[in-house]
Amino acid sequence: MKRKVVAAGMAAMMAFSVMAGTGATIVKADDEVTLKVFSNLPDRKNGQGLVEQMIIDDYMEENPNVTIEVEALDEEAYKTKFKAYSMEGMPDVVSIWGQPAFLDEVLDAGVLAELNQDDYKDYGFISGSLDGFMKDGKLYGLPRNTDVAGFYYNQKMFEDNGWEVPTTYDELLTLAGEIKDKDIVPLAMDGGDGWPMAVYLSDILFKLTGSDYSDVVSNAISTGDFSDENLKKATELLKESADAGLFQNGYDSQDYGTAMNLFTNGQAAMFYMGSWEASMALNEDIPEEIRTNIRVFTMPVIDGGKGTATDIAAWNGGGYAVSADSEVKEEAVKFLNYMYQPDKLSKYGWENGVGMSAQDQSAYMTGDETELQMQFVDAVNNATSVSGTPINDCGPSAFKTSIESEIQSVSNGSISVDDFLAAIGEACK
Amino acid sequence: MKKLYSNKLVIFSLVLPGLLLFFFAILAPICLSVYYGFTEYSGMGTATFIGMENYKKLMTDKAFWMSMRNSLLLAIGFICIQHPLAMITAAILDKLGGRGEGFFRCVYFIPNVISVAVIAYLWKFIYNPDFGLLNNIIKAFGGKGDINWFSTDNAIWSVLIVLIWHGFGWGMLIYYTGIKNIDPVLYEAAAIDGADQKTTFLKITLPLMKPVIQVNVTMAVISALKQMETVYLLTNGGPGNSTQFAANYLYQQAFKAFKYGYGNAIGVVFIIICLITTVVLNKIFEERDDRPAKAKRRKGAA
Repeated sequence: MKRKVVAAGMAAMMAFSVMAGTGATIVKADDEVTLKVFSNLPDRKNGQGLVEQMIIDDYMEENPNVTIEVEALDEEAYKTKFKAYSMEGMPDVVSIWGQPAFLDEVLDAGVLAELNQDDYKDYGFISGSLDGFMKDGKLYGLPRNTDVAGFYYNQKMFEDNGWEVPTTYDELLTLAGEIKDKDIVPLAMDGGDGWPMAVYLSDILFKLTGSDYSDVVSNAISTGDFSDENLKKATELLKESADAGLFQNGYDSQDYGTAMNLFTNGQAAMFYMGSWEASMALNEDIPEEIRTNIRVFTMPVIDGGKGTATDIAAWNGGGYAVSADSEVKEEAVKFLNYMYQPDKLSKYGWENGVGMSAQDQSAYMTGDETELQMQFVDAVNNATSVSGTPINDCGPSAFKTSIESEIQSVSNGSISVDDFLAAIGEACK
Repeated sequence: MKKLYSNKLVIFSLVLPGLLLFFFAILAPICLSVYYGFTEYSGMGTATFIGMENYKKLMTDKAFWMSMRNSLLLAIGFICIQHPLAMITAAILDKLGGRGEGFFRCVYFIPNVISVAVIAYLWKFIYNPDFGLLNNIIKAFGGKGDINWFSTDNAIWSVLIVLIWHGFGWGMLIYYTGIKNIDPVLYEAAAIDGADQKTTFLKITLPLMKPVIQVNVTMAVISALKQMETVYLLTNGGPGNSTQFAANYLYQQAFKAFKYGYGNAIGVVFIIICLITTVVLNKIFEERDDRPAKAKRRKGAA
């Protein structure tokens, strides 16, 4: 008897460990399907995470036999676990980034399923938005947003002090001096994370090079030679801006939240960030007189640069893909396609002010959009050209890590511009 | 019972679980680490064997040597600032007696009880150049109060202060226990002989505390080498790599830069450095232990 109990216990443990070990989907009888979604949006009550959850809830309601389990981690933890999953079996639907810094290694490992491009002909994807998710002509994922980089500013503060939105970079630096004289931080910058400054550098570079931007960047990354004069000039401009006091004191060690709080508390006049923060205008945690006065402008033109005022830094970053070895691939693709039905991600996203999707959203304009949202829409609609992926996400991830760390050192003057360009070049080799 | 314990099979079966745990949880991962250290591997897909390339690169990697310098600075900070302070505080606490003793013992230990994440964010706000407590205090005393505590030059010192402050209570508690274990009769005898406080501390407390000091110093050096979570949360090694520590750098390379092979090479060098440090420290203390013993023996022979 005792032996039987022990044996039963051992068997149960073994079964449990096998189940825990595989992490794969369990397909139950009578068409019951469990889909595992692995997401980089841990906040399920606000913004993009809320939108994702709304679609998941809709799908489960329409397909009672499907249960969707969500595992959500913030970006850094997400990427670490993504790697662990890639070795022992991916969840069925995953968040991905359509940028070489992330996708190259992932596609080399063959963990994502190829999607049928013909399925998406009628989905209204903005032209070029799928490019980052393709390799050798095959499609592996779909983009979620169109991201635009911009300077959020406090309109009331500008009006009260008689400041004007700058039209050239020199004007921006002059304005920074005037703002500083009033004991206000000119521009809140999340320099602690590295990537926002890399986006800023890309934005400057795009204004210098215009349509040559992607050639300059891809040449530099493929050869590891960053001595191009535009790259040098862009870096010098970044350093000049930091020296002129455009950013807050200690910007190179402050994180996203701290920088954003400076702006939303009225301690900073401007905040440099992507269009996903357009939901600030709807965020009731921000004092009303600030929330309702947030406006945005894009990078002003630079003297001698080829980029015009309507050439904007914009790209399609995050998105979704299906795991190559999903046991319920058919259902996973069905769910993916469901998410991208124009009245799901695009519509819900728009209504919740999370910024622009990568699909045509014009059908969902309600007339109730915030001015901030409309400014972004106008910027995109009037754009003569867009930059594409920011420089830090254009190379291998070793390059990304390097540039995001070295950019702090070059902007605060602890290494020279030439050393910076040499160091990031080295990381490409 | 005795017969049972002399049965080799029984001995084997009792030792086996421990051995297996050691093998699978410690030895096997280290061996795998050594293997991956010789490869170019992103952590996904296949690994390519590249021999000593990772190690060659590591030798000229400025960020890695910066992290070693920072570990060394931290170890010196622990040994020269934290531990003397902790020991003196422990000695004073011991003399304090009554309610005050328990109260202050608790107060000094509180930082150790609070989660590292909380500590890191607390200090981030204290150091904030725009609205932080430190700059506001300086302003209150008429200063300008615009010091950037996390600038490239200041950051490492700001981080060291947090680490030294955070570990202070732990060191103090061990010293305190050590002092409490000293036989009070010795102090009484010293008092009768007319020894003052200083002499008592130098001639009785300090020599008898030697084993405790050894343990504490070894632990301090190891924890300086292993430092990761506070730095990760406070500065993540920045600005640039000015506050980089080996464990944090390893994590960044292996999991953020997708250079899993290189990360493992760092891990292997890191393990070797830790082992050497421990052995050297043990040797130093051993010699110190031996010297008086040998001297005594010589005296006896004479």
